[in-house]
Amino acid sequence: MSSATTSRTRFHVHYRTIDLVTITTLAVAFGVIFWGWGKLYEPLSGLAVFSYPPSSGLLAGPWLIAGVVGGLIVRKPGAAFATEFLAAAVSTFIAGGTQWGFSVFASGFWQGLGAEVIFLLIFYRRFGVVVAAAAGALAATFESVYEWNSYWTDWDMGYKLAYLGFFAVSGAVIAGVGGFYLVKALAKAGVLDAFPAGREQVTEV
Amino acid sequence: MSLGGARFEGFTWRPLGRRDPVVAGLDLTIEAGERVLLMGPSGAGKSTLLHGLAGALGTTIAGELSGTAQVEGRLGLLLQNPADAIVAERMGRDVAFGPENAGMSRDEIWSRVDEALASVGLTYGRDHFCAALSGGEQQRLALAGVLAMRPDVLLLDEPTSMLDGDTSASVRDAILSAAEGRTLLIVEHRIEPWLDHVDRVVVLSAEGAIVSDGTVRAFLDGPAPAGVWMPGMPTPAPLDVPADLVRPDAEALSIAATEVSVELVTRTLRGTQRTQALTDLTAAISPGRTTAFTGPSGAGKSTALAVLGGLLKPGGGMVTPELRRWRSRRLAGAVGWVPQNPEHGFLTSTVGDEVRHTARKLGREVDVDRVLEVFGLGRFATSNPYRLSGGEQRRLALAAALAHRPGVVLLDEPTVGQDPSTWAAVVGWIAAARSAGATVALSTHDADLPLDVEHRMRDGVLQ
Amino acid sequence: MRSVVLRANPLVQLSVGLFSLLGSFWIRSLPVALIALGAYVVAGLLLLPGWRYPLVCLGFTAIAAVTIVYSTWRLGGHDVEEAVTAGLRIVVLAGPGSVMAGYVDPSRLADHLAQTLHLPARLIAAFAGALQKFTGFGLAWQQLERVRRVRGFGPSRNPLANGGYAANMSFALLVQALRGASATSIAMDARGFATAHDRTWAEPAPWTRLDRWALVVAALLGCVPIIARVAGA
Repeated sequence: MSSATTSRTRFHVHYRTIDLVTITTLAVAFGVIFWGWGKLYEPLSGLAVFSYPPSSGLLAGPWLIAGVVGGLIVRKPGAAFATEFLAAAVSTFIAGGTQWGFSVFASGFWQGLGAEVIFLLIFYRRFGVVVAAAAGALAATFESVYEWNSYWTDWDMGYKLAYLGFFAVSGAVIAGVGGFYLVKALAKAGVLDAFPAGREQVTEV
Repeated sequence: MSLGGARFEGFTWRPLGRRDPVVAGLDLTIEAGERVLLMGPSGAGKSTLLHGLAGALGTTIAGELSGTAQVEGRLGLLLQNPADAIVAERMGRDVAFGPENAGMSRDEIWSRVDEALASVGLTYGRDHFCAALSGGEQQRLALAGVLAMRPDVLLLDEPTSMLDGDTSASVRDAILSAAEGRTLLIVEHRIEPWLDHVDRVVVLSAEGAIVSDGTVRAFLDGPAPAGVWMPGMPTPAPLDVPADLVRPDAEALSIAATEVSVELVTRTLRGTQRTQALTDLTAAISPGRTTAFTGPSGAGKSTALAVLGGLLKPGGGMVTPELRRWRSRRLAGAVGWVPQNPEHGFLTSTVGDEVRHTARKLGREVDVDRVLEVFGLGRFATSNPYRLSGGEQRRLALAAALAHRPGVVLLDEPTVGQDPSTWAAVVGWIAAARSAGATVALSTHDADLPLDVEHRMRDGVLQ
Repeated sequence: MRSVVLRANPLVQLSVGLFSLLGSFWIRSLPVALIALGAYVVAGLLLLPGWRYPLVCLGFTAIAAVTIVYSTWRLGGHDVEEAVTAGLRIVVLAGPGSVMAGYVDPSRLADHLAQTLHLPARLIAAFAGALQKFTGFGLAWQQLERVRRVRGFGPSRNPLANGGYAANMSFALLVQALRGASATSIAMDARGFATAHDRTWAEPAPWTRLDRWALVVAALLGCVPIIARVAGA
């Protein structure tokens, strides 16, 4: 969230009302989706953990999609980070919360930062499927390293790397490629007309 | 131009995705203190004019703008769906939004909030939850939020079109008393109740040009414009729908509810809210008849329909047959249900697929082209459903839900806010399905809908 | 005393989770884990207004901890003590925060984020507004579920097919959410939001004496594992 301020002074980026409302609305919608996925995730990840623990990383991709989608739609510095972080925050505020407590804020922070870094590295100029996949993968990488230090502290290094690999693949495919096509579908549904992502999908009638 | 005036000069707007402008070179001047009713068929660009004055064109709404649209003084805007305007959890804070934006001091903010809430007649107090308000109360809350800014010009974009008769009358009264001494620009579909309260009527054509502009008297004496509801107009003739498109491909069931009660659970961020939606409802629907559940908003009409169709689990009592226990596919074969918001009804990405979708799942044949033709959607077969206009979406949602010819046809508020041609299409399909032997049931507060059996409801109880 | 956590301001409420998260990084042995957990249990017994809700939260956290115990045991060299320590550490890391999140009032939190932490005012105001859509999203979700069921595309018993169902539902919900977003921003701009550069706030974001003491207690609880470790436990 704070990156939105700094970016405004450094890059002279102006956030229109529709930008802010879209970021926050996406955050609430994805917060709900995250919360729902959290309830579904537990039994599935249990299965994964009891078969081959690092493979639970494959199930973690959906958590990263908010940042990728926010970045692809709004295309301004801070958008990816804010969308992901706020979505994570929303998922903890829903009654019944999440089992991970404050750690969700930390995850939202690292996941949002991972996606944001990719968009920053290409100066917010390209928003293709490769960039989206990279954003998903880096978000997964950042989050994995955080989880090594918080959840999986005592795993042997090889397993930690395997977890990171699974997570990065899941992030690239589900959050990255999935997020890219989600944005495309939203644009075709006509709800992104206020954004370049929407205008690129329009055919005149 | 004096304080409170509004003016369009050479106003031209081409929305994104349209080759031609919807409004081209429009000139219109509204004097301070005037009350103007703006009308025209769907797609005539009425809302566009309000959006232009509000500064939303070219920013929030994408497209190409030229010419000027400006207001002298502060403007206030009221939208169709009050839920879109709510920005806070509690009433006081919601009304405070505008004064906060203007950077006012805390004392000034709260004195304006109290004044605005009092002027729209909301007496629950600052700390009342917005979510606990009815639709009409929410619209009055939105009006209070607008008034707290002390606007010189009030822009109203179909503020009562989602409300039932009594509720819209109360919202209209609140608007009119608040409008005292202010300039008023109203866009509405159903214009009759407003005519006594305006000075001037401006009629736009489907092409966005002004076809007439004058006093209410002159307007009523002039030729009736096409595509709008005129005062005293007979209800349009229902569209003629061929019987083979609607003849049930499954048994038309008789469904009976016996002493059914339903408690609706709404999830809020902080927990759940429970409201008693139905109490001891005993009612039946049967083949070859149109059964209507009528009554004001919140009477439990939609809930009654959902419980009969097996879409909602009753808390007590019995529904026979117990459709609630049927698997999705089996239920689809027997029942078609049109949701109140057409956009909730779409599952695919093209209009044609939407009509085909359920039939294909069930292995039934559907003549998609003819269905689309009947509803005037033929040229949109490959368009995205979400891209259609409101009236077109309403017709498509109906086709999507019913094209597979279920024996039971359920419709939730099928005609609310529709123009005459969509009204005729919806009513035509309902009548044809009924004549072909289907069990038809609907919830409505439209007194003009033809029906065989009426169940009047209030507060979840059959009257 | 049991109303303390309800009366504390939302930043203080969240700080409990932050400190427990930070403190948990010092948990490397079973005694330290038990001491830290014990401190939180005692604090919870003394200060929480009820036991039902915290227990549910703790239950969820415990399920998560079990998977960690197992995976640590399996991938960390079959050391039972190490595995149990890792599990308890997760309970300390996540438990207090997930309980406290349930007491946070998001509207009050927004006031504090803007006025105490000075985060960008328009973003926070927009966020507070967006939170009000939650109930509407829930109602839309119900309608979307009904439509899918009555059109023959309800959820099935096959979990893989349900992935497609969930994706289709999520897409429809997002369309509804974003459709409302443009109407909301038009309404907000008409109330001066576009030019709200010196926005004020109708409610204050106070720090009472209770808040300051509660913050100290939260920090001390977070320091328990550090102190225990330094003391040689």
